[in-house]
Amino acid sequence: MEVLRIVITGAVGAGKTTLIRTISEIQVVDTDRQATDETALLKPTTTVAFDFGRLTFAPNQALHLYGTPGQARFDFIWDILIQKAHAYIFLVDAHRPQDFRSGRRILSFMNQRAKIPMLIGLTHMDCPGAWDLDDIALALGLFDEATRPAMVPINPTQPSSVSQALMRLVQELMKAPVLN
Amino acid sequence: MINIIAIQSILQSFVSDISDIQGATLVSPDGLAIASALPERVDEERIAAMTAAMLSIGERIGRELARGQIDRVIVVGEKGYSVLVNCSDDAVLLILANANAKQGLLFLEIKRAVAELVPLLAEQPKANLLT
Repeated sequence: MEVLRIVITGAVGAGKTTLIRTISEIQVVDTDRQATDETALLKPTTTVAFDFGRLTFAPNQALHLYGTPGQARFDFIWDILIQKAHAYIFLVDAHRPQDFRSGRRILSFMNQRAKIPMLIGLTHMDCPGAWDLDDIALALGLFDEATRPAMVPINPTQPSSVSQALMRLVQELMKAPVLN
Repeated sequence: MINIIAIQSILQSFVSDISDIQGATLVSPDGLAIASALPERVDEERIAAMTAAMLSIGERIGRELARGQIDRVIVVGEKGYSVLVNCSDDAVLLILANANAKQGLLFLEIKRAVAELVPLLAEQPKANLLT
């Protein structure tokens, strides 16, 4: 069985845990705890270690999905997970521009540590106040349209939307030179 | 109000009274410090987050491998111990001890510290942990 390790990252509330719960074929291993910081205003619980889910997409190929915590105090977990990843998805909540800054921090953290295929998933695109794709790219500091990573809208609650994004990522992975 | 001064003083005397114990911190399950008596060089915010992650993984392993309710999580290194114990639904205690610590004594002292801390935490409704 070939296993591809995919990390799902992004700021608090971007939809990382939801995405993994939506697509995993096994019961997701989560480490949710009651939120007591500003996260509590957004949602009742938050990931404190990682989420783990699995998706078999060919007879002998499986994706292992690892979701990171969103808060920067857990950056040692970001580090652990990204070191072993084959590719990652960076989720951005399009209608919470106040989180773009912390998102940008995560993105640069990952970029510094891993030169691996990735794509940017835009969630909550259907919500009022959602920014459009190009504006988000600028907010994330991705100024050059030609060199920026692929950006796709994702609905983390919809299996078809999630699997489409994952397949896109796997394609990116196949294009990339083999590393290990 | 949570009696943070009382908690702080329990942690402080715990660390200063017992020679092989180097530090103690009480954190919320989502990784925020409540009170600490840690050595100067360590980053409290980081330790708090690690404590929460470590306990949640420990508990998860306990559940997946049918080990029942997790009592404590221990990491033993050549330079000493990190021991994690659940104090209540709202707090996790992390103890750092050096390699000379006698395990039996260490666990006994931790048990006593937890017994002192629990009533101070138990009186409080959950909302009071919000700062």
